[in-house]
Amino acid sequence: MGELVLNVNGKTHKVNAPEEETLLSVLRNRLNLTGTKYGCGEGQCGACTVLMDGAATRSCSIPAAATAGAKITTIEGLEVNGRLTVVQQAFLDEGAFQCGYCTSGMIMSATSLLRDMKKPNDEQILGAMNGNVCRCGTYPRIRAAIHEAAKTVRG
Amino acid sequence: MHKDFELPQQVSRRAFLQTSLVTGGALVFAFHFGGRAVAADAAPPKSVVKYPPASFIRVEPDGTTVFQINKLEMGQGVNTSMAQILAEEMDCDWSKVRSESAPVNAVFNHTGFGTQMTGGSSALNSSYEQHRTIGAMARAMFVQAAAEKWEVPTSSLHTENGFVLGSKGKLSYAELAPAVALLSPPETVLLKDPKKFKIIGKSVERVDAFDKSTGKAKFGLDVQIPGMLYCVVARAPVFGAKVKSVNDTAAKAVSGVKMVLALPDRVAVLASNTHAARMGRDALQVDWEKTGKEGVSSASILKEYQEAAKTPGAVAEDKGDTANEMGKAKKKIEAEYVFPYLAHACMEPMNCTINFDGQTCEIWSGHQMPTIDRDTAATMLGLDKERVQVHTTYAGGSFGRRANKNSDYVVEACMIALKAKTPFKVVWTREDDMKGGYYRPFTYHKAVVGLDAKGMPHAWDHRIVGQSVVGDSFFEKMMVKNGVDPTCVEGVAGSHYNVPNRFVTLALQKQHVPVLWWRSVGHTHTAYAMETLMDEIAHNAKKDPLALRLELLKGSPRHVAVLKLLKKVSPWGKPAPKGRAYGLAIQESFNSVVGQVVEVSMSDGQPRVHRVWAAAHVGRVVNPEGAKTQLEGGILFGLSAALYGKVDIADGVPTANNFNDYPVVRMNEAPVIHSFFVDSEDKPTGLGEPGVPPLAPAVANAVFRLTKKRVRTLPFKDSLA
Repeated sequence: MGELVLNVNGKTHKVNAPEEETLLSVLRNRLNLTGTKYGCGEGQCGACTVLMDGAATRSCSIPAAATAGAKITTIEGLEVNGRLTVVQQAFLDEGAFQCGYCTSGMIMSATSLLRDMKKPNDEQILGAMNGNVCRCGTYPRIRAAIHEAAKTVRG
Repeated sequence: MHKDFELPQQVSRRAFLQTSLVTGGALVFAFHFGGRAVAADAAPPKSVVKYPPASFIRVEPDGTTVFQINKLEMGQGVNTSMAQILAEEMDCDWSKVRSESAPVNAVFNHTGFGTQMTGGSSALNSSYEQHRTIGAMARAMFVQAAAEKWEVPTSSLHTENGFVLGSKGKLSYAELAPAVALLSPPETVLLKDPKKFKIIGKSVERVDAFDKSTGKAKFGLDVQIPGMLYCVVARAPVFGAKVKSVNDTAAKAVSGVKMVLALPDRVAVLASNTHAARMGRDALQVDWEKTGKEGVSSASILKEYQEAAKTPGAVAEDKGDTANEMGKAKKKIEAEYVFPYLAHACMEPMNCTINFDGQTCEIWSGHQMPTIDRDTAATMLGLDKERVQVHTTYAGGSFGRRANKNSDYVVEACMIALKAKTPFKVVWTREDDMKGGYYRPFTYHKAVVGLDAKGMPHAWDHRIVGQSVVGDSFFEKMMVKNGVDPTCVEGVAGSHYNVPNRFVTLALQKQHVPVLWWRSVGHTHTAYAMETLMDEIAHNAKKDPLALRLELLKGSPRHVAVLKLLKKVSPWGKPAPKGRAYGLAIQESFNSVVGQVVEVSMSDGQPRVHRVWAAAHVGRVVNPEGAKTQLEGGILFGLSAALYGKVDIADGVPTANNFNDYPVVRMNEAPVIHSFFVDSEDKPTGLGEPGVPPLAPAVANAVFRLTKKRVRTLPFKDSLA
């Protein structure tokens, strides 16, 4: 059991958690940030994706203790006063979700991709997004949303 | 399950007076009883219907219209589409609409099933007329209130966007709400002329869009209530096994674990967070009693079923004289099909939050059948039904899993609650979920089709062997008649194909593996058998598969319309690109007809689906983009199952654990999908499930063209290995 200091969505949190407890568990159970989802617990489905210093990270596969010092961004940290990010708005515009459970992870993975690549082609999109599972079958619309967001990001 | 839903029965005055909604600050209009709807576009209804608009609608002081949605929002878009129907007739401001999940109450019963439930792709079909009437009644009451205030005839007023307008000016619904609260609903209402629809038929943005894109939407797994513990359960690896002994010393010593509760058939670990609960469960030592099912395997089940198919089972359809006419056949096609158990694999694993204090109980989850869950919980906890409140959250997919005939995870939560005496949330891990049973049943088909001199099917003997999804539940008595569970034979028995002699039988089997409806239920296997057989028949007769179907579906105008639309919008009939082939399939399910053409190539011996053209007859389309996404969703769901779907049983235990050994389709495997709808002004029919059945057989038919192999055992991953 140790005291961790985490930086989540710009706020500092002191958390008392066992060494091996995952970041996902800390976010959901201790910080009440339930926007990041549990889907498989093994890094296979992407539902738990957050940003660590801007890079997509599967929070179920990393101990919270290993994230001290990094800037963690969850889905809750994207929107500012009701203003959605370009990626979030693109998902809305394309209707790129159905049940919405995979959506947080999809948006975080897409956000990280577009930070790294301004003009991703289909192959690059798939490379970044293939780790995110959707059971409702919204893949084509998510792909379209990423293309749309990329256009806006490029300006 | 498949009938068109009639207007509902009378709702007793007492039933809905109990449901008047009163919230702090919101203005609710009370009423006494509903009235009769007169559709502007149809003959007057046969029965006098009583609707309680106030149970479904309230208008808040800021002008927001809040709708109670009595169906589970599990991705299929009911929170939006049902709101569209209410809003259209009500003429409220669509930009200020909010949908809430309705509490459990008889007033919210499914108009056809007499219980509150979501399933059978029937939400819109069963609610369309009811919701139009409710919206129209509300509108009439706002007009009435304004007429009285202005002292003008109601006929001089009209409504628009949440306002009543007349020569004296305009009044908002919010301003009128207090007066409306004192009015009785009208005896008759006029429904809008559909030509004037502004919201129904439009691809309005989903009402849950913002919340789902910002992480604000709460799913069952997200529920948190004060003082709640987190519970993880050790369940028997072999279904039905009882606990022999438990050593919980190590589990109790895990930091954060608060209690370990041994029940007759499972052990619950409750802790201050999920991590600790899981660690606690890992530290449990549980010995399970043998059940005698430890030797069951997929292979042993198949053997049993093949044996059972040697003789015909219970008769599901007996058309003409198949036994005799088969003898006259010029040629026969014989085929056996094997379909494995399938997991629902919803993105959100099962869960249930419960707060039972001995006197009352609250339950939270994504319920497809909340009345049944509520009643079952009440019985288990020894409470009157009124003391049990079931809250339906968003569901991260369901596909039938959360319509559990045995209320499995609710019963489990209640069993634990009786001992725990603290609120808690039962969390299922992905492994718990995959191994937790309630699969699409393992099913076996044996078909013999006798062809005439022209190669057309003349006699059709079709034997189906499988488990009843309603077995071991109160549904069984209602639905299984003379040994026939209609959900096992739907799509074969009563098929629209004009075959003069057809004999369909079903041999129901029992297994220790629990089974449940899985998106499109019987059609998941019957469509595969029927549509691949049709393809074989066409191939043998040297006929184009689409033309053959048109010939055999004369007299089925919806099927014909779908095939003609497919022919128009897809490249069917033209040569496919090099290395690719087209496959075709059509199936009617849940009152809708869906046809698909797929474009497939082979890659490392496995099919790769590049494009899909889907044509559907679903009656009136309430939300075009929403409707398309449902077809797309069904296609991708069907594709996962066709390519990879399989839960094997080995040593009595399911072999699937996580997405590594129960793979599902990922973004790189998603085809480009083009969806089209036959123009129709019929009542909306099903969309949640009908996109699933045609996909697998269409792919199989294309695979035949490319490889000359007829795949009759799913998934493709195994058959084409």
